[in-house]
Amino acid sequence: MDTRNFLFMFYGFLAAWVIVMIYIITLARRNSRLKRELDDVKRLLDVKETRAENRTTSLPHGRGSVQG
Amino acid sequence: MNPLLQALWVARKDLAIEFRTKESLNAAGAFAVVILLLFSFVFDPASPEVATIGGGLLWLCFAFGGALIFNRGFARELPNECLDALLASPVSASSLLAGKAITSFVLLLIVEAVSLFVFGFFYDVRWWLHPLKLFAVCALATWGIAILGAAFGAMTVNLKLRELMLPVLIYPLLLPLLMAAIELTNNLLMNQVTSDSLLWGRVLLVFDIVYTSLAVALAETILVN
Amino acid sequence: MREKLVYILAIVGAVLLAWNLYGIFTVLPDEAAQGAIYRIIFIHVPAAITAFTGFFIALVLSAMYLKTGDLRYDSAAASVTEVSFVFACVNVATGSIWARIIWGIWWTWDPRLTSMFVCLLIYFGYLMLRKAIDEPTQRGRLSAALSIFGFVDVIIVWKSIQWWRTQHPSPVLSIRTGGGNIDPAMEHMIYRDLLAFLLIAAAIVLVRMRQEMIEREIDSLRRLAHA
Repeated sequence: MDTRNFLFMFYGFLAAWVIVMIYIITLARRNSRLKRELDDVKRLLDVKETRAENRTTSLPHGRGSVQG
Repeated sequence: MNPLLQALWVARKDLAIEFRTKESLNAAGAFAVVILLLFSFVFDPASPEVATIGGGLLWLCFAFGGALIFNRGFARELPNECLDALLASPVSASSLLAGKAITSFVLLLIVEAVSLFVFGFFYDVRWWLHPLKLFAVCALATWGIAILGAAFGAMTVNLKLRELMLPVLIYPLLLPLLMAAIELTNNLLMNQVTSDSLLWGRVLLVFDIVYTSLAVALAETILVN
Repeated sequence: MREKLVYILAIVGAVLLAWNLYGIFTVLPDEAAQGAIYRIIFIHVPAAITAFTGFFIALVLSAMYLKTGDLRYDSAAASVTEVSFVFACVNVATGSIWARIIWGIWWTWDPRLTSMFVCLLIYFGYLMLRKAIDEPTQRGRLSAALSIFGFVDVIIVWKSIQWWRTQHPSPVLSIRTGGGNIDPAMEHMIYRDLLAFLLIAAAIVLVRMRQEMIEREIDSLRRLAHA
């Protein structure tokens, strides 16, 4: 009885740790996923901005620029 | 116009549509009867224990049948953007919600009346021993189911998984009410009205007051587009 | 600044928890009737109080969101609810393990346990609802409404052992009973563990809130990229 009592006390503490650790691991994984998504979307924005700049600089002389 | 009158007008509209088509009534009524039939295979319907679990059986049927009714409540307004028209109308959000709740309340009471007859017939339970008290229990519990059903029906109307989300959200919240209704119904079916019954009656009443107040207060939040 | 705060809260909480564990296992004696298993109370009760405190804070934050429309309140409410849900799970799991020894069963449908299970279902529904809605303001509004409705059950859980005759033990903390139901050293340890749990929970909430803010940033950058 005493051994079983002690064993279940250990199980109780273990259960608490396992539940909290599983949650922390899911938070860490979510962090990695969010970092990846943020990098992807920033890269997408950079590409879009670069394309927009190329479009304005490649326009022929007299069009798209202010001339006196 | 008086908000209560607005709610009654909304309910009148919905009930008129429902009595013309009877789609929710037929579905909920048939569903409740089928559940009663299925349960007859789980245990012996002729055994004396039926009266001790009859309350649970009945309220399970009513809760599941109710889900079919209040699922339709706001969903029927989706085609042709009727919901947008209602929200843009002078009817206040709380009156709209209350009107939907009144509709579900009336329809669910009809389903309950039919189920009680079927239950008494199949299970040989004398549910008519305390008709007024049973009606009071049914009315109070059904109002709680209806007001929460209307509030959460409005919340989930535009969601992709509406039919799944609505029961998942509403049944845990309904549990205290269903427990009280089951205990009171069991007491009435067994003809054993005790002092505990008064406590459960108070639980029903408090539940109704609290959730009706919350639903009316949050109606604008839930229904704004 | 925020990261420093997270580290401070987590480290202080962890150190306090470690010190408490030392006290729980080496200083406090076994309980007369229960033996060693009673030590689960030092996780079970603080986890419950942490969860309920979190649900209350989420209620206040939800109300603030409805009042102001500021999505930061919504992010905070969601983060606090999620972390509180985890602590509520810890409470139910540890209680169940304790019950296996003391009552001989893992579970019973008494008012306290039933209402606590209902509470878990309600807040699980809250988390599911948030996943089901893409639009941020709609998500905030409906989550806030559900948080307000759901808190009614938290009150029922808290008061259940006073309102009904339950198999679950009656209140023991002196703030509820006026004293005499628990050894003062054990009660003191419960409060110390509660402080540790609250500090750790606060650290995790801040991390989670940061993730919510990053998600909103990704959302707005995506809109810009596809505009």
